[in-house]
Amino acid sequence: MGDIVQIYNDYKDHADFLTVYVREAHPTDEWQMKSNVKDDVCYAQPKTLEQRVAIAKDFTTRFKFPLPFGVDDMSNAADNVYAAWPERLYVIDQTGHVVYRGGMGPFNYKPVEVREWLAAKYGAVKHEAPAAAASTAPSPTPASRTAPPTASAPAPATPATK
Amino acid sequence: MVRFEGTVLMKPLLKWVAGVLAVLLLAASGVLCYMAGSPKDAYGLVRYALPHMHRGTLKVGSDAPDVRLLALDGTNHFHLRERLSARPLVLVFGSFT
Repeated sequence: MGDIVQIYNDYKDHADFLTVYVREAHPTDEWQMKSNVKDDVCYAQPKTLEQRVAIAKDFTTRFKFPLPFGVDDMSNAADNVYAAWPERLYVIDQTGHVVYRGGMGPFNYKPVEVREWLAAKYGAVKHEAPAAAASTAPSPTPASRTAPPTASAPAPATPATK
Repeated sequence: MVRFEGTVLMKPLLKWVAGVLAVLLLAASGVLCYMAGSPKDAYGLVRYALPHMHRGTLKVGSDAPDVRLLALDGTNHFHLRERLSARPLVLVFGSFT
């Protein structure tokens, strides 16, 4: 999720973004992962649209997720036509055509490819290397080696299910 | 007599084939469990993820399908294609877990 939020912050003046919440990938009543328990992200598969909205709200609130949000309906219409589950990225151009279709997550979910597409069109956005990269910097503690919560937590586009 | 000898020969052969298949199945299960992280996750992979692989017909150049989505307020709906503008639209599909 951190990658996508960073891309959003870098390119929101050039591109529109829309997050679409689809059915849960690792609900408690299906294929729950240990990481979900560890991260306290435990939800049963929603049976109603209201339940989906509630989970989506929990997510956006917990991670202060800034991207615009929509929720797929209970017929999984968006999931079905975009083969979206468990997570996938697309870029649609101004004419309504797919110009980038990402792979099925989590293994082929690659925000960097979206960044590259946007960078090719609007120019790359450079980020300063983290201070820890300096040779004189002390070795990071185990805690500091851990990605920040917003980057590691299960989330739309990055369920971090492994 | 010939039939009798054939039957005698077939029994050990079938046992060998069954044994080899069992070993292969066991090895494949072991590899899957190792890759997935646990037997439970291996089951999840087969039960939930495999059916979704190679799904979908969209590719680069396809017309982006329209779908009706619910806004986070829980009451207002909008169409995905309403979000198309003079700029590219990045779609991020996912869930919380």
